[in-house]
Amino acid sequence: MQGRVNREGGVHQGETRFALVLTAPGILVLLVTTTFPLAYLVWSSFQTINLAMPFLDGFAGVQNYVDMWYDARFWHALGLTGIYTVSSVTLQVAIGLGLALMVMQIPAGQWIFRIVAILPIVLAPVVVGLFWRTLMLAPNFGMIDFLVQWLGFEQINWLGAPTPALISVIVIHTWQWTPFAFLVFLASLASLPGDVYEAARIDRANALQRFWHITLPLLRPAIVIVIIMRAMISLHAFAAIFAATGGGPGTASEILNLYAFKTSFVELNFGYGSALAVALLVITMAVSGILFYVRTPRRREASA
Amino acid sequence: MSLHRRAATRRKVVLMAVAAALLLVWVFPLIWAVIVSFKSESDVLAYPPTVFFEPIGRNYEDALFGDFSILDSLATSAIVSVSTTVLTIVLAVPAAYAFARLKLPAKKSIGFYTLATQMVPPVGLVIPYFLILNKVSMLDTYTGMIIVYLTFSLPFAIWLMVSYMEDIPFEMEEAAFLDKATRWQTLWHIIIPQVRGGIAVTVIFVFLNAWNEFLFAVQLGGNTVRPVTVAMYNFVSVEQTLWAKLSAAALIAMLPVVIIGIAAQKQIVKGLTIGAVKGGGRR
Repeated sequence: MQGRVNREGGVHQGETRFALVLTAPGILVLLVTTTFPLAYLVWSSFQTINLAMPFLDGFAGVQNYVDMWYDARFWHALGLTGIYTVSSVTLQVAIGLGLALMVMQIPAGQWIFRIVAILPIVLAPVVVGLFWRTLMLAPNFGMIDFLVQWLGFEQINWLGAPTPALISVIVIHTWQWTPFAFLVFLASLASLPGDVYEAARIDRANALQRFWHITLPLLRPAIVIVIIMRAMISLHAFAAIFAATGGGPGTASEILNLYAFKTSFVELNFGYGSALAVALLVITMAVSGILFYVRTPRRREASA
Repeated sequence: MSLHRRAATRRKVVLMAVAAALLLVWVFPLIWAVIVSFKSESDVLAYPPTVFFEPIGRNYEDALFGDFSILDSLATSAIVSVSTTVLTIVLAVPAAYAFARLKLPAKKSIGFYTLATQMVPPVGLVIPYFLILNKVSMLDTYTGMIIVYLTFSLPFAIWLMVSYMEDIPFEMEEAAFLDKATRWQTLWHIIIPQVRGGIAVTVIFVFLNAWNEFLFAVQLGGNTVRPVTVAMYNFVSVEQTLWAKLSAAALIAMLPVVIIGIAAQKQIVKGLTIGAVKGGGRR
């Protein structure tokens, strides 16, 4: 960039003005549509805003945050968010990588896998949640309910009992998004250089050694970016859980995202709901900050 | 040698069996939805589930033209998604060009800003938007909904387009400058044709995300603006057990995205992997 400006000299006068004209509309719209509501959110997190009891509305100071600290339901939701995110991301990466490695070995049928994998990704999460709630998990109707009983196990109330409900929403999320990891890994595997494998084969490295010492390090950037992207989506997951369990039974599958939503739109306590949403924002930024930090030094190492 | 080969064949068979089983896990819920959508209500409730039955088209008729018609919702989704996509592209493409190629003050901080806006949890936007739109009487309006949809489409589109802009060879612009083309001419005649593929990928992603959006739609919409995702959800909460009709309606609602998904499968994978392959550069 620098060299180019020097080289071209006069031609590039007015470049900055042109660049500003091009970016200003987009950035202005972003400021108005994202930053302003976000500032409003932070402001309302310091207010009492309760549409059910508007006569109490007013400045609340840090009261919402103090309440949060002593709110067992908040800590419960936070714990569930952690379980939900870590387990679903781990499953997506593990299954996606395994499947990609398998499919790489069968070159003839790859297109079928690619087509099938694209389908869950393009479906609306709310529809995925509804399909699973009815067609797969509903008692005395769903396919999985039927299979469980057919195999001789006791009937499980998948969405109506606490632990099965949490497992169900994790499975649903994993079902929908593992294909994403699979497709990214498949593309990365296809772009790996073949000659390193040849060299390894001559060195008589076995399959496990080849995977551990060659494939995995080469895939590392793809794995890290998939973890980052999927963690963000997991932290903000909403529609599929909302459609399948509504966060229930009770609060058994209520991750922080749903708690903030319900506090605002069911209990109409917008001040406290805002504070919960701010907490989720802070957690998101912290998690992404940590993940990016973990990633950066390795890159330098690799390029040095 | 033959022993080796036999072991290799056996390994391949096992591999294909496992892969096929996993394939079934992913495709089954969708196939089952298609089957159920052709069942009558009595066939649907048969337990254990029946595989052989008299297929009927009644559910699709009802979903389109009957009491449970989702035609209005389809129209709403189309209006909101197309408007969002057009606006996003118009705003994002020039901005991305400036980011990728031009001298821009505070480029780093603006770039970080667009990235950071993607980290805002949707629930952190739906709460203030509800309060704000309520105050200005814009709940349940198309304008309000499209504005809200820009919050997730625009930062993403800028981010994606920058990666495509960075791939254009510098020589193209330089040649244009030597021909005394103005900056606008260069952008319109040289740059945009070069990134046509990138624009297509961005259009697909923005459209898919807008079509599938649920959280904003369910809380900021209403009787006027009710996209198909919300119509689907209401269907289940109101008509608890009409699952054959739900399946038919849901399949119709998802038909546009499924068609796009299969037709543009290559572009979608490209869009997904662009972050994995070269996302490191700017982040």
